[in-house]
Amino acid sequence: MTAAFTYSFQSEWIKKKRTLASWLVIIGGFFTPAIVIVARLINHSKLKEAYLATDYWERHWRNSWESMAMFLLPVGVIMATSLITQIEYKNNTWKQVHTAPLSLTVLFFSKLLVVVVMIVQFFILFNAGIYASVIIPFWLVKGVPYPPEPINYFYFLKENAFYFIDCLPIIALQYLLGLRFKNFLVSIGAGFLLWVASLGSLIWKYGYVLPYTYCMYNYLKGETISKAASPAVNIHWMALLYASFFLAAGYVLYVTQKEKG
Amino acid sequence: MTSYCLQTQHLTHYYSTSEKVLNQINLQVPRGSIYGYLGPNGAGKTTTLRLVLGLLRVQEGEVFIFDKPFNQHRLELLKSIGSMIESPSLYGHLTAYENLDLLQRIYKCPKARIAEVLSLVGLANTGSKKASQFSLGMRQRLGIAIALLHNPSFLILDEPTNGLDPNGMIEVRELLKKLNREQRITILISSHLLSEIEKMVTHVGIVHKGSMLFQSTLEELKTRQLQSSSIELETSNAEAAVQIAKEFNIHPEIRHEKIVLPVVSKKIVARLNQQLVQQGIDVYAINIVKNDLETIFMDVINN
Repeated sequence: MTAAFTYSFQSEWIKKKRTLASWLVIIGGFFTPAIVIVARLINHSKLKEAYLATDYWERHWRNSWESMAMFLLPVGVIMATSLITQIEYKNNTWKQVHTAPLSLTVLFFSKLLVVVVMIVQFFILFNAGIYASVIIPFWLVKGVPYPPEPINYFYFLKENAFYFIDCLPIIALQYLLGLRFKNFLVSIGAGFLLWVASLGSLIWKYGYVLPYTYCMYNYLKGETISKAASPAVNIHWMALLYASFFLAAGYVLYVTQKEKG
Repeated sequence: MTSYCLQTQHLTHYYSTSEKVLNQINLQVPRGSIYGYLGPNGAGKTTTLRLVLGLLRVQEGEVFIFDKPFNQHRLELLKSIGSMIESPSLYGHLTAYENLDLLQRIYKCPKARIAEVLSLVGLANTGSKKASQFSLGMRQRLGIAIALLHNPSFLILDEPTNGLDPNGMIEVRELLKKLNREQRITILISSHLLSEIEKMVTHVGIVHKGSMLFQSTLEELKTRQLQSSSIELETSNAEAAVQIAKEFNIHPEIRHEKIVLPVVSKKIVARLNQQLVQQGIDVYAINIVKNDLETIFMDVINN
């Protein structure tokens, strides 16, 4: 089973080569840092003061995550997951996949793992981008010091882990929809609607019932003047619960479908 | 006793409660054969093949491959089966090599096998060209290469010559015959044209409107062809000629001013000809009218 899973994962990994989803990961990971770098180079006169701030890294982290948590991460995950699942429909290859000597469980989880690894890749690239958006202005602008404040690695790792957990329900539900519906617009459309609904429900005290809100709530929790209601529950546990539920439902729907290509 | 590579028992399938697409199909594909599964479009060929491969859930009946029930030995049996159902399953954004590479990992066959099958189907020099840029014929050949990658002992091909030019058809036919002859691969090939596969198959099954109408060897189908042949005589007086023919214990018919007799020996035909001439009837032509296999196929379907 483990060997079959490894081979199946390798096979799935090859399939994503040159796809839009794989480009999305790279472009999405460096998009915000690139904008931050350009903005800093334009406003370079204020950089020295900013780099010397005692809470420089935390502030830089939050600035970098703003557009990411509210927009790019949820939408990126919606797009990437749907694109990966659509590879088989688009190429009419489900029949080949389902006549390979692999169990449905192996197929389901190996494809899912590709999506998860891609999201991890995205987090790594984005973190590298965040650091690059500090270091590049430091190299290019004369007189800008390297931030003297030590980096709190534990805090950043913890925050990465929270954002990752918080986007798991999006991955799981988009995966379910992508496997279930041949029409690409169903999964993308449903994902987009849920994201818009999540944005709109942030101020509602029960906004946390929507499974696409957790990345946004994780970002907004540190706001001094909060734009959102404070969830009455632990959002990370809620994210894990939703992800488990969507995953189980997706698995059952996948293995019980009557037509397999 | 014949050993079957594939056997279905009373395979019946409904797309909806009112739409029965397969009715009690008992397919029997002998080991080592090239079995032509024939029928017009919409007859139920692809549905049968999808049921056999587990792409559709079996509602009624059973499927046995190498004498083992498919449902209970799915993974084990799929290792020995190569298939191409309807159009080839290709990832358009990948090259031919990459399309095979991702399957090579699953089937755990040697890497060298990729180059082998690519060369076998004449796609060894496609390099970095993506499958989406392939012609229909190239796509079809890559589909066959995928089916052959893991050296299967049973090959299921659904209309594999679709879209190929006459030369491509001949190439595929020769390739399949070679695989069957040299590697003893059993091949089940579906088609809606008998003429397309009659030069390679050893066995034939004819399906129409979801029911199996004929299943036997190609020889048996050819015997039917002979039985349905006739002799046609063109004479100056058809009615008198019929009376003379009756003296030979033959019961001819007159069709379009010509006398049509069942096939009899050459000697009897010669004697009948002599007799007609002696009786003053001019004989303009004697022809053997052979129904081609396509006509037999159409007869089976229409009756």
